[in-house]
Amino acid sequence: MFKTHYKLERYSIGLAIGIIAVASIGGIVEIAPLFTIHQTVEKAPDMRVYTPLELAGRNIYIREGCYACHSQMIRTLRDEVERYGPYSLAAESQYDHPMLWGSKRTGPDLARVGGKYSDQWQTEHLNNPRDVVPESIMPAYPFLTRTELRIDDLPKHLATQKELGVPYTDEMVANAVGDAYGQAAPDSPQAEGVKARYGDATDIRAFDGNAATVTEMDALVAYLQILGRLTDAAHKQEVTGGIK
Amino acid sequence: MGVIERDPYTGHGTTGHEWNGVKELNTAVPWLVWAFLIASVVFSVTWWILMPAWPLGTTYTKGLLGDDVRKDVAAHLQAAQEERSVWTQRIDKEDFAAIQADPALMKDVRETGHALFGDNCAACHGLKATGGPGYPDLIDKKWLWGGTPDAVFETIRAGVNSEHPDSRVSQMPAWGKDGMLDHTAITDVVAYVHSLSHPGGDGKESADELAAGQKVFADNCAACHGADGKGSTDVGAPDLTDDFWLYGGDEASIYDSVYDGRQGHMPTWESRISETDRKILTLYVLDLGRSSP
Amino acid sequence: MISTMTITERQIALLISVLVALCGIVLAAAGRHDPIGTHGLLILLAGLAGTFFILRGYYDPEPAPERLTSYFDDPIKVGIVISMIWALVAMSVGDWVAWQLAYPDLRFDGAWSSFGRLRPIHTTGIIFGFGGNALIATSFHIMQRTSRARMPDQLSPWFVLAGYNLFCVLAVTGYLIGITQSKEYAEPEWYADIWLVIVWVTYFVLYLRTLARRKEPHIYVSNWYFLAFILVVAMLHIVNNLALPISLGSSKSYSLFSGVQDAMVQWWYGHNAVAFFLTAGFLGMLYYYLPKRAARPIYSYRMSIIGFWGITFFYIWVGSHHLHYTALPQWVQTLGVTFSMMLLIPSWIAAANALLTLNGAWHKVRDDATLRFMTVAAVFYGLATFEGSFLAIRPVNSLSHYTDWTVAHVHAGTLGWNSMIVFGAFYYLVPQLWKRPRMYSPALVEVHFWLAIAGTFVYVFAMWNSGITQGLMWRTYNDSGTLAYSFVDSLIAMHPYYIARAFGGLLFLIGTAVGAYNIWMTMRTVPTVIGTQADRPVMPEPSRPILQAGE
Ligand code: HEC
Ligand code: HEC
Ligand code: HEC
Ligand code: HEM
Ligand code: HEM
Ligand SMILES: [Ca+2]
Ligand SMILES: [Ca+2]
Ligand SMILES: [Cu+2]
Repeated sequence: MFKTHYKLERYSIGLAIGIIAVASIGGIVEIAPLFTIHQTVEKAPDMRVYTPLELAGRNIYIREGCYACHSQMIRTLRDEVERYGPYSLAAESQYDHPMLWGSKRTGPDLARVGGKYSDQWQTEHLNNPRDVVPESIMPAYPFLTRTELRIDDLPKHLATQKELGVPYTDEMVANAVGDAYGQAAPDSPQAEGVKARYGDATDIRAFDGNAATVTEMDALVAYLQILGRLTDAAHKQEVTGGIK
Repeated sequence: MGVIERDPYTGHGTTGHEWNGVKELNTAVPWLVWAFLIASVVFSVTWWILMPAWPLGTTYTKGLLGDDVRKDVAAHLQAAQEERSVWTQRIDKEDFAAIQADPALMKDVRETGHALFGDNCAACHGLKATGGPGYPDLIDKKWLWGGTPDAVFETIRAGVNSEHPDSRVSQMPAWGKDGMLDHTAITDVVAYVHSLSHPGGDGKESADELAAGQKVFADNCAACHGADGKGSTDVGAPDLTDDFWLYGGDEASIYDSVYDGRQGHMPTWESRISETDRKILTLYVLDLGRSSP
Repeated sequence: MISTMTITERQIALLISVLVALCGIVLAAAGRHDPIGTHGLLILLAGLAGTFFILRGYYDPEPAPERLTSYFDDPIKVGIVISMIWALVAMSVGDWVAWQLAYPDLRFDGAWSSFGRLRPIHTTGIIFGFGGNALIATSFHIMQRTSRARMPDQLSPWFVLAGYNLFCVLAVTGYLIGITQSKEYAEPEWYADIWLVIVWVTYFVLYLRTLARRKEPHIYVSNWYFLAFILVVAMLHIVNNLALPISLGSSKSYSLFSGVQDAMVQWWYGHNAVAFFLTAGFLGMLYYYLPKRAARPIYSYRMSIIGFWGITFFYIWVGSHHLHYTALPQWVQTLGVTFSMMLLIPSWIAAANALLTLNGAWHKVRDDATLRFMTVAAVFYGLATFEGSFLAIRPVNSLSHYTDWTVAHVHAGTLGWNSMIVFGAFYYLVPQLWKRPRMYSPALVEVHFWLAIAGTFVYVFAMWNSGITQGLMWRTYNDSGTLAYSFVDSLIAMHPYYIARAFGGLLFLIGTAVGAYNIWMTMRTVPTVIGTQADRPVMPEPSRPILQAGE
């Protein structure tokens, strides 16, 4: 063995090939089967995709680095299920490019935060967390209410996701701008289409309390309010510990 | 090929190579290293046999122990629930008064309520349930919707202005924004409302103003807040004569309440927190109020 | 800089700079309504700066042919300086965010100064800026010395160094203006990722070309590690960053992977960024500078072999230990645990091989702070890998994951191991490269050493305490069988530890500043003809004598 190596270490290309060969195996064995073993991602026939507004909110969540403090992955552990709700299923993030499971809980898990608090609370909290939670160490994001949301490029976002396999329809792509506006402006004509395309249960509200403009706050709160609610799969599954 | 030397300090031979002065000894690998390496491999192989481990195309090896994290956690949750059932069953069955009368049971309520309240309610009502601007204090014995256990339980179940079909509905109209009252009427009624909780006033408002305000109040506000301003738990209209304020009792805040209107939103907890836990929360909140001065 | 290059090289460099500038213009124009436009301008600026530099020195005399009889050290010197600058910046940001976790309003009004945007500046700045530049500089040094050959040309080292730092700058400025892919340690967006591939391929080719010119029949261990570092990082980087931009005029892209597959790919990358960036490359450093400074032979060639191939093979499997109890199928988690256990053995072989090398030189460790930096690094390497394998055990991870315990582990590794070995290497290198008899102030090296040690201990102990407290509070049950603490209860309990950590970090940062000052002053003292330790001279190319007749 050492003799062989003694020879090998005289050839830089030989070493390089050896390294690549040895270092590829693990990845191939662990990653490739995740695409072929069907149990990996559970069935969730009722699952819907993010609306354009929620997707924009998700991108703000990414931009601001919320994932640095918040996980979105409830593990299969008793205390986590009892604190945060049914454990997360792979299906729940199947349309998440990329996933936002997170690796640190400086703040609480957000996988099931959707619907937990009011829009008003979310807005106040993001404006300055210490207004509502004096003990909080979360940063304040007052600029979100001041910043108008960029919606003109949303069709491109949806089209790209569609190309990657997220089941957006052509209609959804074509109406992305109007849908984003309509979801945050409940009395506008555009609001109608949102329910038609994304389901009756879709939240259509002035998330930041002001229906006149669509702000980044609208988008981020819309996203937070849908977390854990795209599909019921986790609650339905008997074993996840969902309450009856 | 270089010349093999012997290291005077360790006595081991070198490999005979040198790289800018760095040499290597050809020391044999200590047996301990082999032992650990083999032990770790043996451990791993055993583990692979016992546990789900290796992928096989469209399936994977399930392991002899048949372990499954999802079943494990379900079993843990089940066991925990059974363990707690000694006292949770009594919470389910007995009425509020009976539970409140039982110190042992109330100990469980307090212990459980702390984290339950802290993780779900404290964000709005504060860790000590003392509330904050827009979010009611729950221990001050003043209730928007009534302070009986049943009323509190119902508020928690259905929420206020929530999406729940049974939600309590409350709406303080936006008298100014929606143009129902003009500016003078509003400043008058604000002065009047302010005086209700500040008998004698702060000396700034004139008697005329207060009289005018009282008239506006009787015409517009009494329907909800009562002729005496003491509020109504039927529509969740607060008592305006005490020193408890949801949105602030200074004139500027009162002005904002009257001008913009208010519509507090308390989420429904029916689908998120089990009935037992909601009952515990009710008892916990009432108990906090009871033990507060 | 420019004077070290031949005319042909200057011409190619000019061409590259102009091309970079052109790319910048294209991006700036296509992305004028998008954050990518700002980066386009930045790239344009970089291209123009390059062009300007080259033109300014274009007519300088060509380097003398005698250069071929010496090693090419100028890029190494620049790399060391840049690395120290990144260290100061990224550690300051690290300490700033540490204080923010204790006092959240310690920030400016703008979005850029919030924790979520600054944290990746710290991690990228420190790993890629500080660590990466140190790796490039030391690898240039080691590959030449252990091959007894000069780098094959004067352009590609400069290109690698400059191109790599352009990538780092694009990364951290991107976070400030809100450009990120959110993938930990791979946050830069698609165009920066593509640029890094170009730089990295050049780096690899440069490495192979230098090895091809070597005069030693065998390739030294350090180079095995550097090769593994370069190759595997390339593989990881390319796969994990596969993404589709929404348009060429937008910084935004969507990862090719989603959900559970994305999580696995991300942590296959993430863990091995640790393994091949923060470990393999740094072991390359350790394996050269420690025996060199101690003037002792490596303890065991055979242990080097087992250590190297064990690390290369086992590491790749263990990324799934970042996903225990998650929606990742359990079978992958089992593989993650078992390979993490086996991985400990080669890791400790590598650490033990370094420490046993010091047999017969322990008195030097006592007296020489530079060697002490390296020794402590090897010890912390052993500690961090032990802790890592321990944390990979599923029940342990159920407590530690998501908590500050991970942060304690990270900084035991990065402060105790990565930073210490870099400082040791730099204190060895600086007097030599700048041809000084010794560092400007050996006393300050001591001061740095003790500040670094104290800072590391305070940091790591504070985070162990907070992490374990946090983990325990989250799962403590009261007599009634229900959760005892709310999340905010645990948050309140963290406050004193967060202050302690920020203080420990400050000590470490001050140490780094002392080191930077010492290096700066060393550079400024008058050079002597001979450095501390003469290198073996470069051997002439047998086929091509250095000075041909008539030249
Ligand atoms: C410095 C770390 C940090 C960052 C960054 C951060 N948070 Fe938080 N977050 C916290 C902490 C700590 C809490 C718990 C205290 C509180 O409620 O404020 C929290 C609480 C929350 C909650 C309430 C969760 C619950 O169940 O009570 C939400 C929602 C939230 N954060 C969203 C966000 C969003 C959205 C972002 C990014 C725009 C963000 N956070 C960024 C630390 C952070
Ligand atoms: C999103 C913020 C929010 C959260 C979370 C929240 N509440 Fe409330 N709660 C409110 C608001 C706002 C009101 C006042 C509603 C109104 O205006 O009538 C209220 C009212 C109440 C009342 C009625 C008070 C009265 O005076 O009649 C009770 C009782 C109560 N909450 C208990 C709880 C409990 C228990 C929880 C946790 C399970 C909880 N709340 C969580 C916002 C919240
Ligand atoms: C339709 C019923 C209704 C009428 C009429 C009404 N109010 Fe109210 N008012 C409410 C309710 C309900 C609330 C509590 C809102 C909440 O909980 O968010 C409230 C809240 C208030 C508050 C804030 C109290 C606090 O604690 O901060 C003030 C002040 C007030 N009303 C004054 C008035 C005045 C003055 C008028 C007449 C001009 C008036 N209200 C008419 C229902 C009414
Ligand atoms: C002055 C010294 C330093 C201080 C004060 C410091 C502080 C911090 C802080 C506050 C965090 C965020 C932790 C959290 O999210 O809770 C962090 C993360 C991190 N730091 Fe440092 N740091 C320092 C030095 C270093 C060095 C030298 C390195 C690498 C060589 C490094 C690598 C990292 C990494 C990899 C993370 C991410 C950890 C994770 O994701 O779990 N740090 N640091
Ligand atoms: C045998 C070697 C090692 C093993 C098995 C190992 C294992 C682990 C484990 C289990 C975690 C925690 C994952 C989680 O719960 O989120 C972790 C995190 C980490 N380790 Fe190690 N570790 C090893 C060595 C090192 C070394 C030498 C470093 C050097 C710096 C290092 C740097 C890190 C970093 C940066 C993280 C944080 C990743 C993140 O969440 O962002 N590790 N490691
Ligand atoms: Ca709005
Ligand atoms: Ca990237
Ligand atoms: Cu790892």
